[in-house]
Amino acid sequence: MKRGITVEKDVAIKVNHVSKDFKLYYDKAHTLKEKLLFFSKKNREKNHILHVLKDINLDIKKGESVALIGTNGSGKSTLLKLMTKIIYPNKGKIITNGKLTSLLELGAGFHDDFTGRENIYFNASIFGLTRKEIDAKLEEIIEFSELRDFIDNPVRTYSSGMYMRLAFSVAINVQAEILLIDEILAVGDKHFQDKCFAKLKELKDSGKTIVIVTHNMDQVKQFCNRAVWLYKGEIRQDGEVDDVLKEYLRVCG
Amino acid sequence: MICMNVFKELYQYRELLKTNIKKEIRGKYKGSWLGVLWTFLNPLLMLAVYAFVFPYILRVNVENYTIFMIVALIPWNLFTTAIQNGTNSVTQNGAILKKVYFPREIIPFSVTTSQLINFLITCLIMFVFILVSGVGFSIHLVWLPLIILIEYLLILAFNLVLSAVTVFVNDLSHFVQVAMTLGFYATPIVYLPTMLPAKFQWAMYVNPMAVLVEAYRAVLYYHQDPNLQWLGIWGGLSVILLIVGYLIFKKLEKTFVEEL
Repeated sequence: MKRGITVEKDVAIKVNHVSKDFKLYYDKAHTLKEKLLFFSKKNREKNHILHVLKDINLDIKKGESVALIGTNGSGKSTLLKLMTKIIYPNKGKIITNGKLTSLLELGAGFHDDFTGRENIYFNASIFGLTRKEIDAKLEEIIEFSELRDFIDNPVRTYSSGMYMRLAFSVAINVQAEILLIDEILAVGDKHFQDKCFAKLKELKDSGKTIVIVTHNMDQVKQFCNRAVWLYKGEIRQDGEVDDVLKEYLRVCG
Repeated sequence: MICMNVFKELYQYRELLKTNIKKEIRGKYKGSWLGVLWTFLNPLLMLAVYAFVFPYILRVNVENYTIFMIVALIPWNLFTTAIQNGTNSVTQNGAILKKVYFPREIIPFSVTTSQLINFLITCLIMFVFILVSGVGFSIHLVWLPLIILIEYLLILAFNLVLSAVTVFVNDLSHFVQVAMTLGFYATPIVYLPTMLPAKFQWAMYVNPMAVLVEAYRAVLYYHQDPNLQWLGIWGGLSVILLIVGYLIFKKLEKTFVEEL
């Protein structure tokens, strides 16, 4: 499709020989003066390079629910961020096929002085929805958030729980084909969490592709049919949830 | 091919562009007493200061000096405010860039466009001034949209580069401020280009804002055609600069999040 990489029709996300490095700055040069001073070789050597992901290859098929598991610092979240195009790989390429939404950070683009309703528009437009599409989804979003009585108040008057509920309601209702989720369901009370979980199940059953990063193994077991275990920036194991989890718990548990 | 993709993505995210512009215009004055009225009041008050300082203190001898000046000053204000806001636009939106993907060029694009809308509103005040003062309008007004378009493209080109480079070199915004002060005097806003010594006349063509300001003035004040040759040259150059600016922005945007 692009640059000689072919993407099969049934693949939602193709991760092709992807590497990602981060520079670790001891002291970061931000101004021109500092840039000039830090230019000397001695100072530059102080900045280490961390190889977060090393030559990752991964095909995620349409309709799959994949869990990325691994200990802290194994590169799970970085991989997720690469998939959303928030950051870009140093080497390799990631190709996504279909509309993608991330639930990495909820409430992006919320503006405190505007009402809940206006913020639904802001937030949904960041996900690339048009006015018409948002109009059509508005009722469903308000209904899901259970904030109908407060929807025309500025969000600065919301409690943090209400804020997250609204944000989650938008994110989950934008009708993406691919959903990327980092540590889900820490939103709201038990009742709302159950509701979110049910909604995700529904999305999964309707054939959406879902990638989850989590440490909650119960969720993984309940929800995913495939698990990818990342270890120090490399894929250690990739396969059926039960097999991968058993091995993972044996080594890391 | 690449060109098509640019427009396709921007079109897909048109609602974001719209809400961003709205937020930019409404959010700026939200909570202030007079609200959006400041969009009008701000340039009006500034005009009052200039209209007093230059004819009475510096004694520039031009007929209808206030109009002579405002038809240049208001377009210049668009240029400076749009560039100053544009330069900081990406760094100011750092938090949201880290959270979610959307076409990054939307940021400088919406800042520039919201300033253009502010400018168009201010133009209405300017038109009132022109009418009341007796200078009036002529058929040459048909050139005005073209002149505005060229200025808009030029600002957009600058903003794409400046907003992206500021992420890596914070000092740029200070430098831009100084450059704008310099630019104010290097552009014939409060004086006639003929008042400039012969050896500096070249500046009137090298400086795109000088060419544009003279074009605004030709159309709105002198009632004549603008210098089409130089307007055409800068029109063409602004398109080229815009393409170059866009490519630079696209190159740099990949590491925005790690640098912010």
